[in-house]
Parts: sequence; C-alpha cells; structure tokens
Amino acid sequence: MTETKDRNIYEKIKKGAVFKKLVEIFGEKNVTNKSGDLYPYSYDMTECEPHMPDFIVLPENTAQLIELVKFCNSYLIPIVPYISGNNVGGLTIPENGGILVDFSKKMNKILHIDDNMMYALIEPGVTFGQLKKFLDENYPHLRYSYPYAPPYSGVVGNVILSGMNNLSCKIGSMGDSINGLEVITADGEIARIGSCFYGKDEAKPDSWWCRYPMPDLMGVFINWQGMTGLVTKCAVQLWPNPPIKKTYLAIVFGLTDVAPVMREVGRTEIIDDISAVSIEVVKMTVDIPVPKKFPGEPDFAALFSISAKTKNQFNAKKEILSNEIENLNKQGKNVILVDADEFVKLFNLRVRCYIDLPSVLLSLVEYSGLTWFGSYAPSHKLEELIEKVDKLFYKHNITPFIYMKMMKSGHYAIFRPIMRFNKFKEGEEERYHKLLEEISDVCVDLGCIPYKTPAWMTEKMRKKINPGWINLFEKIKKCMDPNNIFNPGRWNT
Amino acid sequence: MISIQKGEDLITISLQNILSYRKNDEDFINLVLNWNKKVLIELEGFYPVEVIFNRDEIRFKINNFDKKINLKVKMDIITFLDLAFGRLSPVKAVLKHKLKIKGLLKIGTLLKFMKIFLKTMKMVASDPNNKYYELNKETR
Repeated sequence: MTETKDRNIYEKIKKGAVFKKLVEIFGEKNVTNKSGDLYPYSYDMTECEPHMPDFIVLPENTAQLIELVKFCNSYLIPIVPYISGNNVGGLTIPENGGILVDFSKKMNKILHIDDNMMYALIEPGVTFGQLKKFLDENYPHLRYSYPYAPPYSGVVGNVILSGMNNLSCKIGSMGDSINGLEVITADGEIARIGSCFYGKDEAKPDSWWCRYPMPDLMGVFINWQGMTGLVTKCAVQLWPNPPIKKTYLAIVFGLTDVAPVMREVGRTEIIDDISAVSIEVVKMTVDIPVPKKFPGEPDFAALFSISAKTKNQFNAKKEILSNEIENLNKQGKNVILVDADEFVKLFNLRVRCYIDLPSVLLSLVEYSGLTWFGSYAPSHKLEELIEKVDKLFYKHNITPFIYMKMMKSGHYAIFRPIMRFNKFKEGEEERYHKLLEEISDVCVDLGCIPYKTPAWMTEKMRKKINPGWINLFEKIKKCMDPNNIFNPGRWNT
Repeated sequence: MISIQKGEDLITISLQNILSYRKNDEDFINLVLNWNKKVLIELEGFYPVEVIFNRDEIRFKINNFDKKINLKVKMDIITFLDLAFGRLSPVKAVLKHKLKIKGLLKIGTLLKFMKIFLKTMKMVASDPNNKYYELNKETR
C-alpha cells in the first residue's frame, strides 16, 4: 500500500537542491529547514507518532503553490497542508517527511463577503476567531458557525473535513456548507469547483454562490485529508444573524436518557445546535481536572441553542422546547430545563466560554495531550454507544468524557469520546491509546464512522469497509495523485 | 478573609461560586465570621448539601450530615433561579410553598442566612460579567 514511506524521497533530487528551489519559489524568508523551526510541526496533541518535515514553506499566493506542486510531482516529494495543527488525528504530521505548507501565516485572507448570497470566500489560513471578528465588525447581520474548538482553529480545515459547528442541528455537516473550492491538482492545474466554474481566468468574487447542479466534484476533495490536491480558496455559507439568541441547558439524570432527549428535541426543527457532554466535562470546564461523579448527580448536560428574529418567534420556539421536555418527563425521563446563561452565572462563569466564541475551552486545552474517537453515529444507537463507552472509561480508570451532537434535525448524530492526557508522562500515551482502540472497536461495530481519522484507525476501518468502496477509493486516489505526493500515509495510502 | 471549600459536585461548585463572590467584602466577612451554624440546602431532584459556617470557614458536606442542623431550606432549581434573578421574592416563594424552610421560628438565623446567601446570590445574578472569558486567561 505505502509507496512513499519505504523509499528515500530525495533519490531523484538532493535535499540541498530542493531547498534552493523552494527559496526560488517562496523567497528566503518563507522557507526553512532548521530543526528548531521544523520541530513544532512534527507532532500534534494526539498520541500519533511524531515525524519531522524536511522543509516548511509559507506561501503567499496560488502561483507559488502551482510551481511547488509541479516541482514536487516531478521529484516525488510529499506535500503536507497545514493550517493551525490542532486537528485531533495526526492529520498534518508529515509521516513521510517532505514539505509542509503552512497556510496560516500568509494565506489567511478573507477575500470577499457576499452580503446578498451570504457566503464568505476565504483563503485556507483563516481562523474561526478571525472570521467572527470580521463579521461582527463589518457584517453584524451575518454569522458563521463555530465549533467546539479553540478560536485559532482553521475554517477551511473544519469544512473540508466535515467538522460540525454550533448550527449543526439546523444545517448538518459543515462539508455541506461549502459553496465552492479552488484547488491545485497534481499536475499543477487550477480547478474551480461549484458555481465559480465558469470562465478561463480568475472567478468573479460574486460567482461562488452554490455547489450544484453540475457533477459534484467537491467530493473528490472533501474528507480526503489533503490527499487529492491543495485547496487554495474556499467559499463557505454564512447565515442571517438573528437578534435574539438564547441557550437552554437540559440537566439529564440517567446515563442513556440523554439520547432520546437529543433525538426528540432535534426533531422539533427549532434548535440551531444541540450538544451534550458527560457531567464530568462540565466540571473539567471549571478547573477540576480529574472530576468524579457523585451519587445523585445528573449524568449529562445538553445545550440547546435557539435563535429568533422576533420575540414572538422566540416565545413560540421556547414553548415547543418546553413542551417537548415536558413530554419526555411524562414518559419517565428526568430532565430539568433551565436558561443556560442564568445557570452558568450561579454555577461558574467559566462554562460561559463553552457557549460561543471567544472561548477558551479549558476541558480541551489544559492537558498537553488530547485524543478522541470522533465519529458520525447512527442516532438510534446512541444509548448503546453511551453505555458501552462509559464502561470502557471506567474499566481503564479514566474520567469519562463523551461529547455528542444531533445533526440536521436529528438525521444523524455525532458521538465523540475524548481523552486528555499528559504527553510527557511515561506510559500515558500507550494507556490512553489502548482505551481509544477499544472504544474505536466498539463504536465501529455499532456503525459509527470516524472523521479526521488517524492512519491506525483507517487501517482498522479498511477491514470492515466493503471491497468495492476500497477499490473505488484507491482508483480515485491513483487518478488524482498518481505519484502519491499529497499528504501520503493518510488513509494508509 | 473567609476560606471557602472548593466544590466538587454540581451543587457545591455553585455554592462555592456564589459565596466566593463577596468573600473579600467586609460586610460579608462580618456576617459569616463566627456565625457557627449549619444549614441544609436541598435542591429538589438533586441531593441535600450541608453548608457549615465555622469561624472563618465555610465547608460543605453531601452525606453524613450532622444531627444538629440549624436551618433547612428546600426548593427546586427553577425557584432557585427565580429568587436569584429577582422574579420571585423569598416571602412569596414561601407563601407559594416553592421555598420550604424548616426553622422558620429561628428568625435570627433565617434572616442572617438570607443576608449571607440570598443577597449574594442576587448580586452574582445581576453582575453582567461581560468579560467572562477573562476567567480562563491564566490557563491559556
């Protein structure tokens, strides 16, 4: 399977000559091969094995990248795209070395906001914090959606890897919210996908308004983890920013009862976002690193975000939500619904950071290590997933951290057990990885599909996926990247 | 200076958060210092918590309660929030049986508890805290 890993990638050209070429393309200031500069790019938060890149380049424009791709394709040198490096899957660890392209420093411009058709055309380095600030200051009537991640996470990385955000109960996977892409393919050609596909030259800024109805080539790039080309522009949908926004907190007693609560509330079609976490996570948020659950405490906390244009619309939505919770309680569930803003003021304001950007998610950033089994999940299996995964956490004496979302009005769910650990304590990575492997086995058996998958996980998945899919996948990869230069190693390529 | 035990469960985390709001306030210190009372607070649906005021300390217990409790207060979480955010007065809450108090006759204890707890809770609730995200600054 692996083509690049087992060979010396500089057999066709010497490293010194590569450096010289990179300097020629990007300029001396934007290229480095110093180990001190390379080191931070060699690892991420996960337990995935670190590997040094050979060079870092900071591109400023597409022309430079076209030249880079042509050069790398001729000499079979790996290219690894990088934005902020805080994906949780080892996706930008250059496991075959090569050239790491850091978009975050210079290709981070918001190129166009289309007020009329509500989209943002951006370069790959744009972060959530940056986009939010820009919209708040210049287009306060528009909003983007934000993930359960630090504000310095990249927008394009999130959409292109089908992340989920705080409008996911309404719009589903963020992959669906891409209007258009500009990509460089292995032969160095620029392709524009989506309604921006007309014309030989640059697309007009107002032409990135839709993805359909031509053959949907977006799928050749979405979720491919940079294995099929380099994305250089991306148009993402924006949404009206209604004046009334409120978040409600459901405190749920009973380990698995949060599942029907999420499903039923999701189906009401009035909620922007539903996310739920184990009660231990609420405590992690308030500076209790290793929390315990006490008898009588609830098992999960779920947040429901509502937005409305008018007070009447808000009241109607609130009524529907309250009625749904009342029905669930009549059916024997034990759910308390409160205004989240009010509750967190009295409970601990740090939880407020969870609800919207700007946020510092203590539960995600306070340890040096973070890893997860992030997956799309069949929502009718959530009860079983929660029960089995909770047991596994206790079996390994590790604090349960389950994060879930209901997607697109309940069509599917997100199930994400998360682990924080000390990367620098001997044996910790192995200990947490063992739990992660067991969780992966259980969840994949129940039909979960992991996203942002590290290579060890895709290796497991390949044994379960139908052979026709694998063959088609291999054919497309071979067709798109015959020399396996784009982020080699991902999905065991 | 009053020392307040760190909460570890949902209720004691909240109580710690509320009581800490005024821990450097002279009036609050004077109220709490050497009060030496035990108050049992129960949020319906959750579990009771014993709040122990002892000299310059406030501690919590969620089991093995002391036999001699000076005041027992019981309400649901909605009433708790309504009281904090001023939608309900304590008197009305008692009259509507939303706030149940055992020890009503110990009027001095009750009034002092109101001053210590309810007043502080209302202060926490009315603080806009616009810079809430600054709380995690040191952990960045």
